[in-house]
This record gives sequence, structure tokens and C-alpha cells, in this order.
Amino acid sequence: MAILVEGWWLAGLALVEVTFSLAWGRGGLRLFRRPRFWAFILTAVALGPFLVGEPDVTLGPLRLSREGFTAGLEMAGRAFALTLAFSLGIASLSLSDVVAVFDRLGLRGLGFATALAMNLLGTLREMATVTLQTIWLRGGMRRPWTALRLFLITTVANTLRYGDEVVSAAAVRAFDPNRGQPASLPLRRADLWLLALLAGCTAALLAVGVR
Amino acid sequence: MSSYTVRSWVTIGLFGALWAVVEVTLGSYLHVIFPSQANTFLTGVVMGGIGVAVALTGRHFVPNRGSVLLIGVVTALLKLLSPGGARLGPFVAIIMESALMEAALWIACTEHRWAFIVGGALAVGWNLPHKFIMMRLLYGKGIVEMYTKMAQDGSQMLGLDTSAAWLILAILLLVRLVAGAIGGWGAWELGGAVARRLGRRSPAASEVSR
Repeated sequence: MAILVEGWWLAGLALVEVTFSLAWGRGGLRLFRRPRFWAFILTAVALGPFLVGEPDVTLGPLRLSREGFTAGLEMAGRAFALTLAFSLGIASLSLSDVVAVFDRLGLRGLGFATALAMNLLGTLREMATVTLQTIWLRGGMRRPWTALRLFLITTVANTLRYGDEVVSAAAVRAFDPNRGQPASLPLRRADLWLLALLAGCTAALLAVGVR
Repeated sequence: MSSYTVRSWVTIGLFGALWAVVEVTLGSYLHVIFPSQANTFLTGVVMGGIGVAVALTGRHFVPNRGSVLLIGVVTALLKLLSPGGARLGPFVAIIMESALMEAALWIACTEHRWAFIVGGALAVGWNLPHKFIMMRLLYGKGIVEMYTKMAQDGSQMLGLDTSAAWLILAILLLVRLVAGAIGGWGAWELGGAVARRLGRRSPAASEVSR
């Protein structure tokens, strides 16, 4: 929606997003603490008056364009609304939600792979660090290309060996991603009302924004 | 998806995690050293090249159709769920890179060194248009005018013709394609070397139900 609407509607949308996150999910607002986010947003406002439109205002040694300032503000507003919407969505997402969605879609294997990968992130990082330190301590860095080759082969080989253990563990538990019924999604009356409300709001905003 | 065994899913998860480890550790370092506003070159090439090498090495051990795309999906989700990683740009980049690699391997039908090289080149080559597409998506149509003016002013300042901007873009794209091709070639070699080390052989195309 942030891609389609323009002008004041964009500001309204950003306001709705901020209000929504203040009421239901403040995790998404952590974005505001990052200097990089503000640098990203304010770059458009700072560059707009110099690069868009004809200069019509003189401010000391600078010749600025009012049209460019407006365009820069709108660009910043769009980036703000889109980034915040994405951040809000992600803040309310957890690994178990992702796995449940894949399970519901009949992609149980992908959910299993994602959960497995999330749990093994630390182990793999540790494994790679130990490999690198071993090569370093044994003087492997004197020949960087050989060291790199050894590091890559050892890391991937160790990863696959670890995978064998996981496969064995899954086999003894008789886990099969291709079998079993997906868990049913309990849909209550309140969910349907919320869905209808969200669909109505989206349609109304789209109609206004496109017009 | 029924052709995927537990071992396939475990291997997809492991290679997705390996790619994510690179993204979360090395990627974070590089983004701090070279902020995205000031850098259009190094971070994307390095991260893309390594990502391509990891995903295509994974293809050696899961030669099912779609496995590279699934490795990319796992990596993108891990990147999204990691602290500080909830950003739209890298998420889209990882998905697109893996989709392009998968497309190249799908067109090639069987596992060939050249398919890995072309897939790798396409995936890292995506980094260049990705920047512009994401900027257009996030900032809207005003960014096109801004980029045009910047190219005009820059070429005027340096005393170059405006067409030099296209030449620079072509060189940047070529460097990315070469880096990706090296990543793909490296993945082919690495996959073979690891398979020999572990006493495994990659399953032949006829042995894999796709």
C-alpha cells in the first residue's frame, strides 16, 4: 500500500503504522533506535532540494529547490512507511510461527530444515572458528590459498558429518516430513471479523490511494 | 517435495545455516566497515560470491530440483529472524540470488560445471540491479530523477561524457559476473573435494527423483 499511495496519504499511513505498533507490538519500533535507519530516511530529504527540480530558494551559499524538498520528503515518507511496515511484520514473527505456517502449507520438511538451521547456527559458527584456529595454530596461514582450501573443505565436511548425526536422530524417532496431516488452524468468529475489517481497510485505502 | 528425504531436508538446513552464518557474521562486519550509503561495490560482491559458493556446494549433496532455492529460503528466514537482521534488502537479495541459481540449474537439466558457473554469475550479477530496484521500490519514482541528475552532475564535474556512467555500470556488472562465476566454479570444485574426502560420491542424475 505504501508503494501505491502518495502525499498526505503516505503520512497518514505512517501514522496508522506507528499507532498500531504502539498499541500492539512495540518490538517493531526498535528500528527507530538505529542511526542507520535515520541516515537512510534522511538522505532523501537532504539530497532532494539539490537534485530534484529547479533551484528557486537561496540559503547562504546554497541554491535549493522547493519542489525537490517536497519530493525528498515524500520519498523519505515512503521509505519510512515501507520499512516500518516490514519491521512490524517481522517483529511479530517467531520461529515457531514460521514452522507452523510451513506445516500448514504442507511444507513440513522446509519448516524442519528452518528450525534445524536456526538451532545449529551457533554450533556451525563454533565449528568454523575451531577449524580456523586449528589451521592458524598449525602455521597454515603461511600458505593462504592452501589454508583457505583446507578451511572450506574441513568446514563443509564437518557440517555434513554433523548432518549424519541429525539424520540418525530423526530416523530413530521415526520422523518423516512427507507423512502426517498438517495441524488444523483454529479459525474463530473474532478472527473472521478481524479479517473482514482488515480487508475493508485495505480496499478503502487502495481505492483512495490509486485515485 | 515428496522426493526429498530426511537427509535432503537436513542437508538443506545445514547449508542454509552455513550461508546464514556468513551473512550474520561477515555480512554484519562488512556493513559496519562499508555502510550501504557509501558503498555500492565490495559488500555485495563478497557476500554474493560466498553465498553462491555455499548454496551451490549444497546442491552437490542434494541434487533434487529446487534445493538451491530452498537453501536460499532457509537462509533468508534465518537472516530475517536474527537480531538486527530484519531488513528487506538482504532478504529479497538472498531469495533472488537463489532463484537465479536454481533457474540456471533447471535450464541445464543435469549437473554440469558450466551450469554452476552460469548460475553463480547470474546470482552475483543480480546485486547491481537489486540496488536500483530496491531504491525505486522504497523511495518511489523521485529516485530516478535523483540518480539521473547525480550522473549528469558527476560526469560534468569529472569532464566525462554522460555515457561514461553506462560504462561504469557495465564494468561493475562485469566484475560481479566474474566474481559469481568464480563462486560457482569454486562450489563445483569444493563439492567434489568434500565428496572425495568423505568417501561419498554425488548421486547421478538418474538416481535422483526430481
